[in-house]
Amino acid sequence: MVRWLGRAGLACALVAALAPPVAAQTKGGAITYAAAGGIGSLDPHVSGSIAELEVIHHIFEPLVTIDESYNARPMLAASIQVGDEARRFRFTLRRNLRFHNGDRLTSADVLASFQRYARVSTNAALLEDVAGYDVPDADTFVVRLKTSNAVFPEMLKSPTYPLAILPASQKDVAGTEAEPIGTGPFTLESWEKDNHLVLRRNEAYAADRSAAGPDGLAGRKTAYLDAVRYNFVAEPMARVTALQSGEADAVSNLPPDAIRRLGDRPDITVMRVFPFCQLMFATHPGNGATAKKLVRQAIRAAVSVDDIIAATGQPMRRNPSLTYPGSPYHTEEAAAPFYDRRNLAEARALLAESGYKGEKIVLQTNASFSYMRDAILVLAGQLSEAGFNTEVQMIDWLSQSANLRRGTGHWNITATGFCSQPLLGPQQWRTQIQATPYLRDRTGLDEAWRQFSASPGFAQRQSAWRQIETQLLDQAYLIKVADLAAVRAHTTRLHGMAPYFYQRFWNTWVQ
Amino acid sequence: MFRGIMMRLSQAVPVLLIFSVMVFMLMHLLPGDPALAIAGPDASPEAVQKIREQLGLDRPLIVQLLEWFSHLAVGNFGESLTLKQSVISAVGERLPVTLSLSFVSLVVTLPIGIGLGVVAAYWRNSWIDAWVMVLALLGVSLPGFWVGILSVLYFSVQLGWFPPSGYVPLTEGGVGPWLASLIQPAVVLALFQIGFLARITRSAMLDVLDQDFIRTARAKGVDEWTTISKHAFRNTLIPVVTVLGITLSLLVGGSVVIEQVFALPGIGRLIVQGILNRDYPLVQGTMLLFGFAFVVINILVDIIYTIVDPRVRYG
Repeated sequence: MVRWLGRAGLACALVAALAPPVAAQTKGGAITYAAAGGIGSLDPHVSGSIAELEVIHHIFEPLVTIDESYNARPMLAASIQVGDEARRFRFTLRRNLRFHNGDRLTSADVLASFQRYARVSTNAALLEDVAGYDVPDADTFVVRLKTSNAVFPEMLKSPTYPLAILPASQKDVAGTEAEPIGTGPFTLESWEKDNHLVLRRNEAYAADRSAAGPDGLAGRKTAYLDAVRYNFVAEPMARVTALQSGEADAVSNLPPDAIRRLGDRPDITVMRVFPFCQLMFATHPGNGATAKKLVRQAIRAAVSVDDIIAATGQPMRRNPSLTYPGSPYHTEEAAAPFYDRRNLAEARALLAESGYKGEKIVLQTNASFSYMRDAILVLAGQLSEAGFNTEVQMIDWLSQSANLRRGTGHWNITATGFCSQPLLGPQQWRTQIQATPYLRDRTGLDEAWRQFSASPGFAQRQSAWRQIETQLLDQAYLIKVADLAAVRAHTTRLHGMAPYFYQRFWNTWVQ
Repeated sequence: MFRGIMMRLSQAVPVLLIFSVMVFMLMHLLPGDPALAIAGPDASPEAVQKIREQLGLDRPLIVQLLEWFSHLAVGNFGESLTLKQSVISAVGERLPVTLSLSFVSLVVTLPIGIGLGVVAAYWRNSWIDAWVMVLALLGVSLPGFWVGILSVLYFSVQLGWFPPSGYVPLTEGGVGPWLASLIQPAVVLALFQIGFLARITRSAMLDVLDQDFIRTARAKGVDEWTTISKHAFRNTLIPVVTVLGITLSLLVGGSVVIEQVFALPGIGRLIVQGILNRDYPLVQGTMLLFGFAFVVINILVDIIYTIVDPRVRYG
């Protein structure tokens, strides 16, 4: 079987049509971006935070990345040839690619990057099924897998822990220590940790000329701005006032009340970026009362989505599915029966049937993300009303997140915001779900995941995903609440800004 | 005098020792794991454990504490886990910002705080006294972060007088931009100190104004200005200098909040980021340097006592 993942003509035409008018674009100027988070590392292979990745995607590029619809699209690869029943992937590199240090990018750099990724990356499991690599010539790189995986390029596209191509000299460099030398449209000029960072236009950038225009993190990217200064401003109100006073041209992570405050300013554009994250409750099927399926289902029955959305005050949209509308895998009918039950009578009946005897239900949340905190507080009220004995635990976000991942911490329900997993498709959910050590009744799940990866046809993969989604929701391992937006804003002198998961500054310009 | 200073310094050693143990214990009591902060929540338990071992966090607390002390003994404050630089150099980079903020704030605090206190005492129980004390009460009561946000909204957003955030070093922009970036946070930071100082000055001044020597000076026909400025005010200086020492300490401490609100890259912000990232060496080292600064300030206050009041002797 030979299949080509090349440039989709229709997608290019659509992107070209959506692209801003070329005549208006002008080179030059510098802008200031007030970003929420500080940046600890610019090593793409170990970076998972959105704040870091927003910078990283301006400096580094992978073989495959995401397009405007978050689907896989070649970036440094000109084409991908799939063979040997999806066990062999041949990447042909684009010509004339150069790193920021002037060196030419060859397949030797790709090989070294894959090897480094397998050694240091947090997401090294991505390559655990690799049988070997071949480098037939300077422009060709071949990956051989042990088992068939039709969605391997879809897995490679992940913008979280991106498999960016670094110079071969970085191969043996420790995780977090890679030098910021990529092929992207911007280079790192200066970086004062926890204060600010400056990106400068890469004058020698080799854009993908086969594409009509920019397309997500891929396509024909053009840097118009001379420089972008990232000011790290942790305090949300300070970011708002920086924009209001003209100190910043763009800001990230605005609090909900800023929408109202900035909304009536004619010189400021507020963007609600959907899709961004999904607010969910996860239950622990290995701890105490929630080990019983009926108790978990009783929790789900008590959830009232509208009350939670109202309490958080965040821009959210109702969506029963674990994928977003627009994704080819998105179906609401499969997930709808499990969504927004708000049925206390059903919850009490399920509790009675389960034999629940008032065991404590620990709800874990954190103070760093107010929407998670508020959602858990509302849920605690709803559960108390249904007859649960609840206790809310407020801990730090990192510990809560690690507890969810590993099952540690003696919790029964936790609130979380899944971001990249639902955005990128079922294959990204797989790493999250399969790595969860405490999930019970995995038989069906594991088989469905195997079918999903091995099936060459989309219909079979879609069917497998429905089975997975139904099982996760029916077992109430995950209880979906709503889709959450990121709120960003920028001045109207800044053009070309489009709502997207990551803030991008290529193909944006100032007038 | 020298002997007195040395005695004060030797007394500071056990204070700093107790302080450092408290800082160490408090940091380790905080929930959260620095290894997890470095590895990220998606990291495998093995990867987190590996980092924990590399950092020596898997050893008993007492071993970690003793090792920290042994490093401190040779002037090594450790290396920040997140910034990948020595604590001393991280503090050194940010010190000018916090010192500048504290200096400008002190320059604002001293004349206004002392002046208001003297005015209130001189016109005691009048409407002037009442208003000054109401203002002083507001100064000590209003939270700095709230006043800071309101101030930015009005003076930066509404009027556009000052930048809302950020710091311009003296060496880069000259005095004008440097002062423009600092004056707003410095005034907000000074509000508490002004209120505090005004109340103490008023109280000390009232005590002095009731003394016999003031009555004598007035009876001898000394004019009011000389009576207040030369005879009365000089005698209020002991409590005022004491409060100044506390004020200076509070200025440095208050910078933790103000630097967050105004996005100033100073030591306060460094500590907050260090705490959020569970960067033990950074927070411990910085707090210890803070503690040392407070001890030095108190010694300086003791020295100033001997200058303003020749009766005070040490050693």
